[in-house]
Amino acid sequence: MLPDLDRAADGLARGLAASMTRRSLLGRLGAWMLVATGGAAVAAAARPEDARGFHFCGHIWTTGSCPSPYELPRIDAKGYPLRPADGRPIDNLGRLVSPAGLPVDERGQRLLDPDGRALDPAPRTKICEDWVPERFGIEAVTQGVWYRCCNRQIRKLVDCCSTHRIRVNGDRALVGYCYRGRYVFCVMYYETGMPC
Amino acid sequence: MIESFTPAGCGSRRRRRLALALFSLGALLSAAALGAVLGLLGTLLPGGRAALAAVAVLALLAAAREAGLLPFPLPQARRQVPDSWRGSLPLPAWSFGYGAGLGAGIFTYQPVATFWVACAGAVAIGRPAVSAACFAFYGAGRALMAALPSRAASPAGVVERLGRSTLALRRANAAALTALAGLLLLVPAGGAEATTLSLGPGRQLDPSVSNGVLAHSQREGTATSVVVRPASGEPVVFEGAESPSLHGDLLAYADAQGIRVVRWTTGEEIARAPGRLSKPALEWPYLAFVAEDSRGKRLVLSNLETGEHGAIASVGLRGGLGRPALAGGRLAWHVTLARSSSIMLLDLASRRRTVVERTRIGSLSHPALSPTHIVWVDARSGRSRVLLRELGSSRAPRTLVESRARGTVLWTTALEGSTAYVARWQQPTGLVTLQQIRF
Repeated sequence: MLPDLDRAADGLARGLAASMTRRSLLGRLGAWMLVATGGAAVAAAARPEDARGFHFCGHIWTTGSCPSPYELPRIDAKGYPLRPADGRPIDNLGRLVSPAGLPVDERGQRLLDPDGRALDPAPRTKICEDWVPERFGIEAVTQGVWYRCCNRQIRKLVDCCSTHRIRVNGDRALVGYCYRGRYVFCVMYYETGMPC
Repeated sequence: MIESFTPAGCGSRRRRRLALALFSLGALLSAAALGAVLGLLGTLLPGGRAALAAVAVLALLAAAREAGLLPFPLPQARRQVPDSWRGSLPLPAWSFGYGAGLGAGIFTYQPVATFWVACAGAVAIGRPAVSAACFAFYGAGRALMAALPSRAASPAGVVERLGRSTLALRRANAAALTALAGLLLLVPAGGAEATTLSLGPGRQLDPSVSNGVLAHSQREGTATSVVVRPASGEPVVFEGAESPSLHGDLLAYADAQGIRVVRWTTGEEIARAPGRLSKPALEWPYLAFVAEDSRGKRLVLSNLETGEHGAIASVGLRGGLGRPALAGGRLAWHVTLARSSSIMLLDLASRRRTVVERTRIGSLSHPALSPTHIVWVDARSGRSRVLLRELGSSRAPRTLVESRARGTVLWTTALEGSTAYVARWQQPTGLVTLQQIRF
């Protein structure tokens, strides 16, 4: 019963969150109404800021996702962004890139600008070490990892840790798997491809 | 009026419902049409902050009138709906006509000033579709004023009761108008208006503006040209050209041979720089451009009077270096590397260079300069924005326009005075249009 309820609440929360912009007044009003009717957990999930944090298989109602080119912070083994849908490497704008870091289309051909010239590359930087410091003005480092079985493969969930005591959700950060003196600021994931 | 929509006025309950529906339709349509016309009128008139501020002043005056502090007459057409229509026209015609007449607002008595403030607002924002949608609510209000009392046992009694609440309604109206004025005075501080320019078929990009004259690249299929559009008179077209940069009556553009500088009013060639060169920027006697070879790209600054020239910046094959801008004795350009992206500025007199903005998580590109401001495009995580900053200021840049659609990219920019231009590129369709932004 409880998992069903959890799943239903998660679905509702994600639906609400997906339909909201960050500054959506109606979304916030909706969240307050949910609080008023006793759905505090659902309301928490419906906060537009936190919408991205509730996708992790077996990892809901806790620390939110790190900022990334797409909503889901899928990373490669070195912490660089990947396209969540298929795990192909992307630049910071979310464009597919070749092994040389040049923007390409789905078939691997160079993307062209409106003048027909090859588009310039954009930076491709680490989600935790580069994105978090610039977006939030704090230092951050990739530390703890933990594992879940998701979609029949092992997913490595990666903690982006900081000495900052407030996490991306806006509330108090957890110690999690960070080394001493650091707290989990946000989380990312890496698909290992190993069946489970 | 209300009695017209009673069974006594219409003949049966079914006919009354039909009459009310058509009245409502007429009111909605005519109100929306009025909004669209006013919005269209606004596109022909100068808008911007001044127009919104004028509406705010009107709203304050109207609020003072509603509060009884400042009595003044309103423009009025004290007509009523023609009673003769009910006798001479079929029910669908007169009910729709009554709705259309009252919904348009300008043909009937207006007891409060709010309607005229809304009209001024529609002209000020100059967006026909938005104005039409807003005015449709006025039409809906007119429809409700007929529909709701007619459901009561004594429709006239409802109207009389409403009449007795005039004082309270006027106070509420005054409060609403005051709030509106406040909002209008706040919005211009952060707002900017973006208008898509209708420049005909094909793709328009790479805007450049000088003394109110706009130039841009024009692409139709594989054909490319530069079009110079003076404020009055016919456009001047340079075939086989692209990436224009205007400075007064001088125009620099790139073509198959390199960079060419011409007097666009006569076509006279002033200078030519041959080679694999692109993206010129001109502020006579300075010409900046990007030179490309097998090792990468270099940004070159040349003095066309003295012949002096030299590389200002360079990147390897995997870097981006681009579209420079020259104005007020300064040169701006963007540099994109594997781990960062920057907007750079060089003072030509002192040779001092500064970083206007740098990021490790996005892409900064296509700067444009005026003597006092700089704009550039900031793209990250599937959205792009045109940002504006006053030169020498350390304040956070201001967003002029934003695209949140992953497939729509803001591209090259131009800037003059308080008007910026940006090319909006819809990647799935390849369509590129120019937007004018007044700030």
